[in-house]
Amino acid sequence: MNADRASHLSLILDLSPAQWHLSSAPSNPSPLSLETFLSHVLTFVNSHIASKPENTLAVFGALPGKSVLIHSSEIADADGSVDIPGDPNSYRPFKLVDSVIAQNIETEIGGLYLADEEPPVALVGALTKALCHINRTYQTSAERSSTTQNSDAVPEPRILILSVSPDLSASYIPIMNSIFSAQKLKVTIDICKVFGPDTVFLQQVSHLTGGSYIHLEQRDALLQFLIMSFLSPPFMREVLAVPKQDKVDFRAACFCHKNIVDIAFVCSVCLSIFCSPVPVCTTCRTKFPIKSLQRLQSARPFQTGGPSGIANGVSTPANGSPKPRPATAS
Amino acid sequence: MPPRRTDVDSGSDSDSFDESSKKAKGKTKAKEGAYAWEAKYTRSWDTVQEDEGGSLQGTVEGLIARRRRRRLLEPTAAVRRTIVRHLFLLIDLSDAMRERDLRPTRLDLTLQCARAFVTEWFDQNPLGQIGIGAMRGGLGDRIVEMTGNPQDVLTVLGERHRFEPSGEPSLQNALEMARSAMSHLPNHASREVLVIYSALTTVDPGDIMETLAACVRDRIRVSVVALAAEMRICRELCEKTGGTFSVAMNEGHFKDLLFELVPPPALRTGPKTDTRSSTSGADLMLMGFPTRLPASAPAALCSCHGAMRRAGFLCPRCRARLCDVPTDCPVCGIMVVSAPHLARSFHHLFPVKPYAAVYVELFSVYSLSDSRSSEQRCHACSVSFPTQTQQHQVQEGMSPFGRYRCPTCSHDFCPDCDVFVHDVLHTCPGCEN
Repeated sequence: MNADRASHLSLILDLSPAQWHLSSAPSNPSPLSLETFLSHVLTFVNSHIASKPENTLAVFGALPGKSVLIHSSEIADADGSVDIPGDPNSYRPFKLVDSVIAQNIETEIGGLYLADEEPPVALVGALTKALCHINRTYQTSAERSSTTQNSDAVPEPRILILSVSPDLSASYIPIMNSIFSAQKLKVTIDICKVFGPDTVFLQQVSHLTGGSYIHLEQRDALLQFLIMSFLSPPFMREVLAVPKQDKVDFRAACFCHKNIVDIAFVCSVCLSIFCSPVPVCTTCRTKFPIKSLQRLQSARPFQTGGPSGIANGVSTPANGSPKPRPATAS
Repeated sequence: MPPRRTDVDSGSDSDSFDESSKKAKGKTKAKEGAYAWEAKYTRSWDTVQEDEGGSLQGTVEGLIARRRRRRLLEPTAAVRRTIVRHLFLLIDLSDAMRERDLRPTRLDLTLQCARAFVTEWFDQNPLGQIGIGAMRGGLGDRIVEMTGNPQDVLTVLGERHRFEPSGEPSLQNALEMARSAMSHLPNHASREVLVIYSALTTVDPGDIMETLAACVRDRIRVSVVALAAEMRICRELCEKTGGTFSVAMNEGHFKDLLFELVPPPALRTGPKTDTRSSTSGADLMLMGFPTRLPASAPAALCSCHGAMRRAGFLCPRCRARLCDVPTDCPVCGIMVVSAPHLARSFHHLFPVKPYAAVYVELFSVYSLSDSRSSEQRCHACSVSFPTQTQQHQVQEGMSPFGRYRCPTCSHDFCPDCDVFVHDVLHTCPGCEN
């Protein structure tokens, strides 16, 4: 690690139209529209490129049902042929990046189908693509050049996710897999939650990859948060007081209802997680003995949540109609 | 057919075991064919061929393709694997460990590889536990109790003075010790013993066959990696208990053999399980997922050590303060794991389907007429596919266009991403949309 090392930033933008509509609603304490958001992000992107000439950038968009690469400085032709009118008042590389990003986002959002129900945002798709991109452009080339050059020439990669959508418990396993891949690739993943409640999985992502998680309270100060917290490369963060998250929730999503649970029943064969005792594992078709079902049924904690106060949960009476605990993202 | 070394130098140790190992040699030879030195000699450098330009690129890609093919042979259906593993590592600390045929010495190499093995093992089996025992002076010596904390094990493995070889090893004593260490485990946990055996003898107080029968009865899977030569009793131990037996040929091979034992073994559905009422002791386990407290949290007494701590974890059921997970909550007894611990094992259970190599040139017609111009590039990393085909070095399992297609989402991927998705990511970027 030396301080002269360039850094690569993969930016993942959550572009869910429904969430951005909610975010810009004037009833919010501090409404933030997609346009304002993008102008903040473009300024941030420019300052990333400006802070070191070797710095590289890739921008991915997570749209409902699909994920796209919006811009990459490694793949020049990915931008397509963009005609930029000469503007004497702007620095051309910045102008180029800005217009490519703005134009591509406009095309992607304009190309969305108007369905009654918006499919969930493909955040995981964007995340996995970003990891593949980093692996292909930086890790593989680092391996190949390791014999000839020093590895410092390869930029240090990190990922920043700007999220507005709530947790998708269906994508629990892929998110976990992405975490472990990021750990192997030594990629730091930062999360900035721009709108909506905290997401448990993204908290785990940033905690396990050594990144920071920031839940934006004053959303008109987005740019300041971005620059103060996420502009510095990971090795610099050690000397800067970058805000870290205080509490990390290590809860998982159950496989049966995709609820987020804090006490769960786990199949010993395949580690499938269930929110209530089941007679047969839905994943591996293992039958569980009746005796342990009864025992676990009686050992179930109260459904009220929070501290039950009773240290020994065995004395808790069995709940007649077991209902899965609603997903609460606190 | 893995090449094996046998006890070529055991002629000097004229003890009772020499005979039985000779018998073993004859028997296994008849059963499994020739030894490595009896096979036809192949020159390894002949398999590497340069192309016209003198480049090795084609051969390297061929090696990648071979790896792909091997993966295609693997079953893609979910395999039942034991996830909650318990492993007792028995290290031979007899005088034979001082031998220098493996560099720097057998003992140093063993400790070095054991450290790497333990790290990787905990990485892939986060819910597992490892204990370490030694065989020296005719006794079994318990060095580390069963623990789920990799740091405890690694610290001890780093303390060289605790691994001073002396005397003769006793396989029976060590196995009995390992068996007693794992006797309390529940049915659904796997019990495994890994023996790193350097000597060619064993000094036993009784009948080792009784110990072998007891291991079979307790469903302990014994695997042996021998550093010197094949011994009949070792092979028999492994065969009867469902483990693997192997002999290390050199330093690299030794490490490979150890690392083959890292992935969780497929669950055995042997005849021994029918005595149990349920199928192989499967059961539901109650687990809690804790909340991690930051270092700025108010200090409190932890329930595991009784020490004042700021950072830590909260048991979700009784709110007791815990120092580290995974553990059993000392207050309410619930098994506390963090969700990532469980998730580390998921890729064993939900593997990505292998991508099919694209042979036919249909794609070019599609992608030109298709509005999705992105199919000109790898769906994952967006790097363009090569425009010219490489017909001259097409091998089975390799696409001449450098395209590999996911059978589920029918997106195309480049070879680099194919390997990355299947080896590291375990999630198809196309299917996740």
